[in-house]
Amino acid sequence: MNTLLRLTVTPSPHLHSKESVSNAMRDVLIALIPVTLVSVYIYRSYALLLIAVCLGMAVLTELLFRKIRRARATLSDGSAMVTGLLVALCFSPGTAWWTAALAVFIGIGLAKELMGGLGWNRYNPALFGRLSVILLIPIFHQVTYVFSPLKQNFGNVDILTQATPLALMAQGTGYPSLVQMSLAYQGGSLGETSALALLVGGLYLIYKKHITWHIPLSVIAAVAVMALLFGTNVLGVSSPLYHILGGGVLLGAFFMATDWVTSPITPVGKIIFGVTIGILLMVFRLFLPPTEGMAFSILIMNAFVPVIDRYTKRLKFGELKKTGDTLLGT
Amino acid sequence: MTATFERGVFLPHYKDFTECKPIISIPLPEVIIIPLSQHIGAPCEPSVKVGDRVSVGQKIGDSSAFVSAPIHSSVDGVVTAIEQRPFFTGNKVNSIVIKPDKTQTEFVKKNNDIGSLDREKIIGLVKDAGIVGMGGAAFPSHVKLSPSKEIDRVIINACECEPYLTCDHRMLMEMTDMFIEGAKIIAKLVGAPEIIFGIEANKADAAELIRSSISKDDNISVTMLDVKYPQGAEKQLIKATLNREVPPGKLPFEVGVVVHNVATCIAIYEAVRYEKPLYERVLTVTGDGVANPANIKAQIGTPIGHIIHECGGFKGIGSGEVKIDTSDVRYPIYAPPEARAKVVMGGPMTGFAQQSLDVPIIKGTGGILVFTPGMITDSDYLACVRCSNCVNHCPMGLYPNYISTYAETGRYNQAIDWGALDCFECGVCVYVCPSNRPIVRFVREVKQFASQKQD
Repeated sequence: MNTLLRLTVTPSPHLHSKESVSNAMRDVLIALIPVTLVSVYIYRSYALLLIAVCLGMAVLTELLFRKIRRARATLSDGSAMVTGLLVALCFSPGTAWWTAALAVFIGIGLAKELMGGLGWNRYNPALFGRLSVILLIPIFHQVTYVFSPLKQNFGNVDILTQATPLALMAQGTGYPSLVQMSLAYQGGSLGETSALALLVGGLYLIYKKHITWHIPLSVIAAVAVMALLFGTNVLGVSSPLYHILGGGVLLGAFFMATDWVTSPITPVGKIIFGVTIGILLMVFRLFLPPTEGMAFSILIMNAFVPVIDRYTKRLKFGELKKTGDTLLGT
Repeated sequence: MTATFERGVFLPHYKDFTECKPIISIPLPEVIIIPLSQHIGAPCEPSVKVGDRVSVGQKIGDSSAFVSAPIHSSVDGVVTAIEQRPFFTGNKVNSIVIKPDKTQTEFVKKNNDIGSLDREKIIGLVKDAGIVGMGGAAFPSHVKLSPSKEIDRVIINACECEPYLTCDHRMLMEMTDMFIEGAKIIAKLVGAPEIIFGIEANKADAAELIRSSISKDDNISVTMLDVKYPQGAEKQLIKATLNREVPPGKLPFEVGVVVHNVATCIAIYEAVRYEKPLYERVLTVTGDGVANPANIKAQIGTPIGHIIHECGGFKGIGSGEVKIDTSDVRYPIYAPPEARAKVVMGGPMTGFAQQSLDVPIIKGTGGILVFTPGMITDSDYLACVRCSNCVNHCPMGLYPNYISTYAETGRYNQAIDWGALDCFECGVCVYVCPSNRPIVRFVREVKQFASQKQD
């Protein structure tokens, strides 16, 4: 039975590229597969448990807060899964699972959803969650006491006790070889197990054009320069490579500082952002207790993103650069 | 070597539906609707009454304002109404409705010797012919022929950068000489010693044809341009061909340039040589939802329902027969309940989606696009995720991300700070947006706010 057809009316343009938030998030998850696999290979069940808890908590938190806010479900955009996995990669194996779950809850619930959802958040949700639980440690004792009967124990914990390269450097008691640190190193958080895996993932994101080289390269370059200038004096290690490969530099530079929502828009802004993160990180490492310097540096710079955007505002088409310029080209 | 401008986007072309199809004519519709305002500037006053007989090419509306263009009847017939009729923008506009006669006479062409006409005479002929920019902006052409500054280059816009559209390409192929003569008339009037034809590289055949039709002493050159959108936008075209930037809020005069479109060149030639008013034009009827895509020559005022019907009607928009009722002046469409379709007047990037098929084509209409459900874009959108795609592609160097989030939250003044009023709504930002944000719609809101503030 034929009826009167109502034509679809939408504003122009009437073509759209295949770009979508969920495609981009899917690619970020793909880019994180190598380092996730390395961490599971090294830490086995400890890694699997953390990852499973964080992903599950991410989904639950997003569903819960969307329900509370009576907002449309956005689980399909994949950003909750990305945050969940990134939080898991920020923790060391053997971390109590409820700590990681709390970090995810705070990251997605407070730092993202209560700010208005993806796009309106000022701070990187994964890092915000990760650092919140560090700051909350003093009031954790009671919680830990309540939860401690639930603590997981998979045995074979000796691999977990290995000090991180940065701790070794700080103690001046020798450190792993660069080759070891690049390929697979047993020590530190899940996401710090393999520089090579992070690099592969990061390059994949650049290849897919979801991120540009500006932020990762400027972070790494700033770390390298700072290490050359000040590294020897304080840590007794002159090679910038140790600083780049150790700790959270690569995970942060490729996957956290490049977060679309919480990084500057223009290339110049991205470079300023990256360089400042690199400098801050080295200040943390050289002059403060060497822990979570990368996370703090990125979160601090997240706060400056609107200012960076405003001061790096580019000229419009046809706007004169300076008074001496002429309108006519050659 | 091809020239281009900064940023912009490479779009799929979708031109193969019609790019090799010669221009054809279609039968007249039952009714012709000629809006009194088809251009930028003052609307026309009707010079005919209901019941008057009109003949093809007869002036039926005019205005005493300088920035305006008269309108003409496109048929022999009788004026049946002067009333508000649907317009392609979605509003209603005062229009002259004409019932065409069963038998039509040919328009009687003059045969002027262009060389013997003086400047005032030529500009008068162009104004009387009601010629406006036929690339879409519909700016009265005689105004652009009377520049207030010294002009050293005329650029002819043969980019046709909108996907799907091929009417300019076909005109270049089939009316090459008229086109070149038209360009020479324009150059002579504005006193420009040089003419540049800017053509996108996917129309190499047309460029060859033009090169073989011009002689050395014509001072005409052909510049091949990247097939990149929006290469045909006036400011981007000037940047690509001459490396001159027109300042924000200014016209091309400012940098010594006048830009005219292919169809306008031909219309100017016909107006000067034959004293033929602009009462018909070539346009592309295309898309995956129309049975026989074509480049057609149609009378100004032809309802799009008639044109789609003459091009074989709808195709593939639902599982079953789809019929346009051409006996009803509103051209209703009867289709299976699940059928969906979108009809766009203009190009796919800047054109307007139509609610009904009784809307007439006007002087600036370059295309009618018919889309099947598969080509209808989703209207759902998410918050801006600051991916910076829009900023990286905006041809005007604006910040569509900030414009859209500020407009969305009602902070229009901030949206203006980030460049909303310099946007010419090319649609590139929306095309690349992963959140599918209707940024062009937000920009229009900001512009409306700004114009109300001025009043």
